[in-house]
Amino acid sequence: MITGHRTMATSHEIKALQTAPLLEVDCLKAYYKMQLFGVDREVRAVDDVSLKIDRNEIYGLAGESSSGKSSLIKTIAGAIRPPLRVVEGSVRFSFKDGERDIYKLSPQELSAIRWSHLSYIMQGSMSVLNPVRRIKHAFVDFALPHVNVKGADFTNLVERHLKRVHLDPAVLQAYPHELSGGMRQRVTIALATVCGPEFIIADEPTTALDVIVQKGVLLMLREIQQELKSSILFVTHDMAVHANLTDRLGIMYAGRLVEEGRTRDLFKRPLHPYTAHLISSLPRIGDEAPKKGLEGSPPSLADPPPGCRFHPRCPLSIDICRREAPPLVEILPGHRAACHVAQADPTRVEAVL
Amino acid sequence: MSPNLLDVENVNKIFARGGIISRSVNHAVNNVSFSLAADKPEVFTIIGESGSGKTTLAGMILNSAAPTSGRILFRGKDLHDVRSRRDRLEFMSHVQAVFQNPFDAFNPLKRVDRYLFSAAQTFTECRTTDKVEERVDDSLRKVGLSLAEIQGRYPHEMSGGQLQRVAIARALVPNPSLIVADEPVSMIDASLRMTVINLFKKLRDELGVSIIYITHDLATAYYISDRLIIMQEGRVVEGGDARTVLAAPQHPYSIKLREAVLSVEGAWRDEPITEAMPAVAS
Ligand SMILES: Nc1ncnc2c1ncn2[C@@H]1O[C@H](COP(=O)(O)OP(=O)(O)OP(=O)(O)O)[C@@H](O)[C@H]1O
Ligand SMILES: Nc1ncnc2c1ncn2[C@@H]1O[C@H](COP(=O)(O)OP(=O)(O)O)[C@@H](O)[C@H]1O
Ligand code: SF4
Ligand SMILES: [Mg+2]
Ligand SMILES: [Mg+2]
Repeated sequence: MITGHRTMATSHEIKALQTAPLLEVDCLKAYYKMQLFGVDREVRAVDDVSLKIDRNEIYGLAGESSSGKSSLIKTIAGAIRPPLRVVEGSVRFSFKDGERDIYKLSPQELSAIRWSHLSYIMQGSMSVLNPVRRIKHAFVDFALPHVNVKGADFTNLVERHLKRVHLDPAVLQAYPHELSGGMRQRVTIALATVCGPEFIIADEPTTALDVIVQKGVLLMLREIQQELKSSILFVTHDMAVHANLTDRLGIMYAGRLVEEGRTRDLFKRPLHPYTAHLISSLPRIGDEAPKKGLEGSPPSLADPPPGCRFHPRCPLSIDICRREAPPLVEILPGHRAACHVAQADPTRVEAVL
Repeated sequence: MSPNLLDVENVNKIFARGGIISRSVNHAVNNVSFSLAADKPEVFTIIGESGSGKTTLAGMILNSAAPTSGRILFRGKDLHDVRSRRDRLEFMSHVQAVFQNPFDAFNPLKRVDRYLFSAAQTFTECRTTDKVEERVDDSLRKVGLSLAEIQGRYPHEMSGGQLQRVAIARALVPNPSLIVADEPVSMIDASLRMTVINLFKKLRDELGVSIIYITHDLATAYYISDRLIIMQEGRVVEGGDARTVLAAPQHPYSIKLREAVLSVEGAWRDEPITEAMPAVAS
């Protein structure tokens, strides 16, 4: 009886682990706490964000500049340095070999999962490549500690992987400045994927590239992702990249996630007025219509507007928006938005388009 | 006849290089020529693949590097002769730059407001602290920021988009007649991108500022450019009226570029990977 019960519990646990989302972010708050001219200042860069990312899923993140995307990503990756501080909430990964609660890990445990389970391509990430050292040293520094091969076997592994990302293994002997931007970016992606991580975080990895090279890098990233069956959290301002690459898309505004859903649904039918504005401001070749940026200033995260943070700039704002912050709720199946008006009548948001 | 605002005449830049990847010399800019008229402010756009020489060309126009051969004239004066500190300052008050990567453009140990203050002190008549701050705040407001927001901050304390807007604001401080903007909007959100692009338009239309806009983004190029050139491996492969070129590109490279533009309709989602994969080498 007892044994049977145990077995059931265990298989139940295993099943739970397999069906659990790979990443679960719960009510996360992360603030920059600083002193400026003797006055305390708190920038609420990530303010109560909850989201889930499934295994084998590419989740895109877009949103206003300085809305907290990079900060969110840093807190998810556990790359938290003062003055950034996690104030509340949790970040949990369900890796194949067990669950990890990022903020309960010791620094050693955290660095043990870096690159092997979780890798992070930073904004302006060319900087992971040391300009005065050959590329091969970067692989030795980052990847060697996480694989159980050494010497010639390690070199073989790296070379095989480089070919997989369509790079000539000769790049290992090169210095970063000898490579074009596209090649350097492929090298950073190769670095981030060489240990076969389950979760890849990429912050603006293709912004510096021309459209042809960008397309190549994106296709390569997707190819690697499909091969490894890993998940990617991908941040970019390029909405066309989201449309082509991501399965689901989250939109941030002023430290909050304001909308989330399947990428196609967001483009077809945005439910938050900010998203609707973002999509309608995209210029296109052949389109002669004047496009406008948002009026008004981006909100200060040190002193965000009360109620809905978008209300001072929102064309649909009503009385309640000034007083009450709208919760992020499911309005259509699999499609969440934080907007009082959309919650009452989703069709009203079309007026912004 | 009054001289042109800018003349780029048969400009070449050759880097000697003995690396693994390229064994020969690197002809980064190959015989490029174009002019901007003084009496007709315009947005002149340079498009091209990574490594096609756009930034190198911009550097020569800004007189921070000299051409290997050919010459560049600003208001009829050869930049080769702009050498003394006084001439350089004078030149810089007319020609300002916004660089590609704001994380590289700012010294991480220097507060960002310092850059703006020193631009105001060096290039304008503002002398008192109040006047300097007013001028700086003015420029910052044009890009959706304010002095209060950025005062005392270091580059790493700001987001990529904020930093890039500070860079644009700094370029606006001296009221220049030419702005060379190297991929100025790639790091900012789509809405703010239009704010900046419309600001360029306004500078051109209302203040008569000419803008050299270097970009990968063909859609914004279509939106604001008057004329454009497309570069590949240092050469101009196609040029002319922006709308004409982008609507119906002629050169094979321009056509390829036009076809690689991703649309929000998500066209290549299910395309096989190998087909769209560009060749390995840079
Ligand atoms: N180290 C830091 N110290 C203090 N404030 C910071 C720091 N890093 C970022 N911030 C602030 O936190 C807020 C969010 O910044 P973050 O870099 O997360 O924005 P983002 O959404 O990634 O923007 P972008 O799209 O422009 O890169 C901004 O107001 C920024 O100024
Ligand atoms: N200081 C330099 N020394 C050697 N080669 C350089 C230098 N600067 C640029 N290059 C080379 O010149 C070519 C053009 O580069 P760049 O002007 O940066 O292109 P783009 O801005 O169009 O991407 C590239 O092959 C690049 O590697
Ligand atoms: S809650 Fe109100 S102010 Fe906020 S986005 Fe919706 S309508 Fe606009
Ligand atoms: Mg960022
Ligand atoms: Mg460049």
